[in-house]
Amino acid sequence: MNDRQIVDEFVAESCDHLADIESQLLAIEANGAAIDEELVNTVFRAVHSIKGTAGFLQLSNIQDLSHEMETVLNLIRSRELAPDAGITNALLRAADTLRAMVENVDNSGDVDVSEHLTALRSIASGAQTAVPVPPPADTEKTLDMVQTFVAEAASEPANDVRTPADSVSATETADRGNSTRPTGHTPATETNIRVSVRVLDHLMNLAGELVLSRNQLLQTVGSKTNGNLDSISARLNQVTSEIQEAVMQTRLQVVETVFSKFPRVVRDLCGTLGKQCDLVVEGEDVELDKSIIEAIGDPLTHLIRNAVDHGLETPAERIAAGKSPKGRILLKAFHQAGKVHLVVRDDGAGIDVARIREKAVAKGIITAEQAHELGDRESLRLIFRPGFSTADQLTNISGRGVGMDVVRTNIERLGGTVDVDSRVGQGTGVNLTLPLTLAIVPSLIVRCGAGRFAIPQASISELVRVKAGERADKLQCVNDAEVLRLRGNLLPLVRLSGALRLPSSGANTPDHTGVAGNTNIIVVESGHLRYGLIVDALHDSEEIVVKPLGKNMKDCRCFAGATILGDGQVALILDVAGLAAQASLAIREEKDRSESVETMAASADSQAMLLFTNASTEQFAVPMGLISRLERIRGDQIDSVGGQEVLQYRGASLTLLSLEKQIRALPRAEQQRLYVIVFRVGQREIGLIAPQLTDIRAVPTEIDTTSFREPGVVGSLVLEGKTTRLLDLLELCRAAHPDWFEHAPQAETPAAPHAPTILLAEDSGFFRKQLVSFLQADGYNVLACEDGQIAWDALRRPGQPYDLIVTDLEMPHMNGFDLAKRVKSDPSLRRLPIIAVTSLASEEDVERGRKAGIDEYLIKLDRDQLVNTVAERLRLSRLGAVQPQNTTGRIS
Amino acid sequence: MNATLEAAAPVRSGDVEFVTFCVGDLLLGAEICHVEEINRHVDVTPVAHSPEWVLGVVNLRGEVVTVLDLRWILGLGNNVTTATTRNVVVNAGGERIGFLVDRIADVVNASWSDIKAPPANLNGAQGRFLQGIYELDHGLLAVLNMEEVLAGN
Repeated sequence: MNDRQIVDEFVAESCDHLADIESQLLAIEANGAAIDEELVNTVFRAVHSIKGTAGFLQLSNIQDLSHEMETVLNLIRSRELAPDAGITNALLRAADTLRAMVENVDNSGDVDVSEHLTALRSIASGAQTAVPVPPPADTEKTLDMVQTFVAEAASEPANDVRTPADSVSATETADRGNSTRPTGHTPATETNIRVSVRVLDHLMNLAGELVLSRNQLLQTVGSKTNGNLDSISARLNQVTSEIQEAVMQTRLQVVETVFSKFPRVVRDLCGTLGKQCDLVVEGEDVELDKSIIEAIGDPLTHLIRNAVDHGLETPAERIAAGKSPKGRILLKAFHQAGKVHLVVRDDGAGIDVARIREKAVAKGIITAEQAHELGDRESLRLIFRPGFSTADQLTNISGRGVGMDVVRTNIERLGGTVDVDSRVGQGTGVNLTLPLTLAIVPSLIVRCGAGRFAIPQASISELVRVKAGERADKLQCVNDAEVLRLRGNLLPLVRLSGALRLPSSGANTPDHTGVAGNTNIIVVESGHLRYGLIVDALHDSEEIVVKPLGKNMKDCRCFAGATILGDGQVALILDVAGLAAQASLAIREEKDRSESVETMAASADSQAMLLFTNASTEQFAVPMGLISRLERIRGDQIDSVGGQEVLQYRGASLTLLSLEKQIRALPRAEQQRLYVIVFRVGQREIGLIAPQLTDIRAVPTEIDTTSFREPGVVGSLVLEGKTTRLLDLLELCRAAHPDWFEHAPQAETPAAPHAPTILLAEDSGFFRKQLVSFLQADGYNVLACEDGQIAWDALRRPGQPYDLIVTDLEMPHMNGFDLAKRVKSDPSLRRLPIIAVTSLASEEDVERGRKAGIDEYLIKLDRDQLVNTVAERLRLSRLGAVQPQNTTGRIS
Repeated sequence: MNATLEAAAPVRSGDVEFVTFCVGDLLLGAEICHVEEINRHVDVTPVAHSPEWVLGVVNLRGEVVTVLDLRWILGLGNNVTTATTRNVVVNAGGERIGFLVDRIADVVNASWSDIKAPPANLNGAQGRFLQGIYELDHGLLAVLNMEEVLAGN
């Protein structure tokens, strides 16, 4: 080993020692007087080892600093010092400097450590003065340590132990600007990565397999007998996939590398702000790709700082609000559905939605009318708009109101999403969703002109195909700007061929009405930007490997990189935001899609419906809220087994319903490709064959429930001159498979005694059916009542315990407010959670509902929201965690 | 004469090998140490809005490599791909960059001392990209100044 290697070894070893020191010091502080000797010993040993080797290498600053730290730690260990905030502070700051010096070991002599030395010494001398550690003793310790290295070098560190005076004078000439606490040390993750030997061995094995496969392939190709090419290609395929997986594994790092710095951040911030807070970290062993780990540090830091600064109240405020003075911030990571979820949740004051709206109007982000129309969720999302800050006074802790916008932009750039939820008085949660890796991106491949391009799925919100015949109606020009009429909104359009100046095939030019002339529009989103991209053709969805473009192309903002397709050709990856800029698309605040869907659902008498035709002349409607997803299949994928049609897919079979077998309907049009509407009944999935989808739109729910009523059909209405029958999926399913329901609750007659029973009051027959089917599909027993009076009578009838009430507000005889009031004033019933499902959304109504004792306020009719809220409320009420009186108290 | 030579090319001595190729009517040479490989990856994917001297990108065994238009850089019009077109891949400071040439010729051994300065009447654009001229038995070889070529326009 030469000198350099020894120093490098020292740096690596010291970094290992210092890696956990921060959390360990914090733990020591948390223990207070109850000293965990083993823990203190661990830190002591770490610092001691650094000191020893530093002495050997004549790194005097490192040695001096670690020596003083060791002295203080020794006093703590011997219980002569009780660690408090001051001592921990000094130790933490010293550890920071120590780390900085170790990481930049060659210049460690230039760092001014005198401040730390003085601080640590005064702490040490403040303890029982009987234990000063004299320099000679120190040298002996150093010698202990060093003798394992080289015996003859042992005398050198002794010469190098400096008196404090030396140390100060030596550093006086040093660069002072560099002296204070260094920030942002470069973590070792950037250049080096630790890989377990097991993973490497596995990779090695796979490399061997790959070589074998290649040899086989060469041999087979050489012998010109293509006999077992199939098996070789299968083998190659398998080996390649495994190698891909194994290589991905080498890039995995535990999220702890990011999380570990936050206890310190929270602690320091709380100190500055005079707040108290516990940081609870969960899922620190979740493994994430290196690229993600590197990218989430800043956004998370921002969110944590926000939570402490804006989220948590001061201890006095907390006590006044009846909470413990110490706040709690949860930082959690977990995998779900192929995504990484990161949650930062505080139990602070929550976000006052009304104030958000006020601010947004005051800052000109939205108009007063828009503010009035916004629901609570959209209002909360205003904090992600540029230039928004709710802190009345700007602080230097959470930035100057650019923060959440930047967080959102950063996360979306990674292909992730950000969402926020908040309850006044209970706290705020921010959820980040990220892809597992940035190196491999699921993308849609499209063609435009002769070129193929990849669009990351994360930027795609939906695909729209406009048929030649509908083009005049749906595609229109406003002042030369093309727009698409999509569910009542105008969506700006960008032609890819135009933006990239490519020759496009003629079919898509504005005035062309050719035969094959479907226009393919990809609705893309990036940040606040939402527009439709016209391409010539759609190809497959592929997982693509992102490759950078060379430096000659660094100004091509239309592309985020390139990838290599299966045939070896290069395809460029489109950058949705850059493309919009290229097409000089005015960056406007486009409405959230969820918003428009919600507005549809929220208007009192309409609901989002999927329209489709079975035979081409008969139109049907299904509420969007019931649909799990849509699948596009080939006609020949449908098997008939004993008269029952099933679809083989995803390794399982999906039972299919044909409309004409269940209700009076003409047989479906024979088509090569058709759609299947997949929905859930209890724990099962079932598909309804819907050959041709027409539209998704808001449909009035004032329906004729007599003319076409039959099992499976709720009623009918006329849409644009077409009689459209509204289907009841649950009834259809029950008619086809009565056996499925033998053990499940029958409508309006609760049969499964162990399942929670929900009392439902709703006067509109349509919504009542919807609500019953949502709730029954989720496995609850439901008693549906036509108004509040009937519900109240049912509640008072003895013998039937209910677990939860779901009610409409506007009903004849007894409205929802009165029902809630009665329930909450009845001692035997007041424990029941009450969820209002309503189209009334004005502030006064919400307030009135809360006063009446309504626990949750949901806008008609979001299935997921409903079932989630019901589940959550039931859970809470089972836990007894939320007493009704508390609930009403905190809302008002 | 000597002064001009030194201005155009830094003092070099010893022997040198050139990969030679044709672009238009010119016979060009690139120092062999710059050249990583010569291949037939001439099916270039164009990149919209890229600089004019960039033809596009190709897949070089899994790496996306930028391909420059040497004709455009030398002011000889735009590239025309034919059956003899080849992609010369060079290493430019860690990044691989290819450029298309009309035809590959021989490897030429020469000595730096035999390389003459470009003639004074060679106009600006081309002059910048040429390091010197080497006389072959059957004609002249223009030695490319690789640094300048790779720097783009």
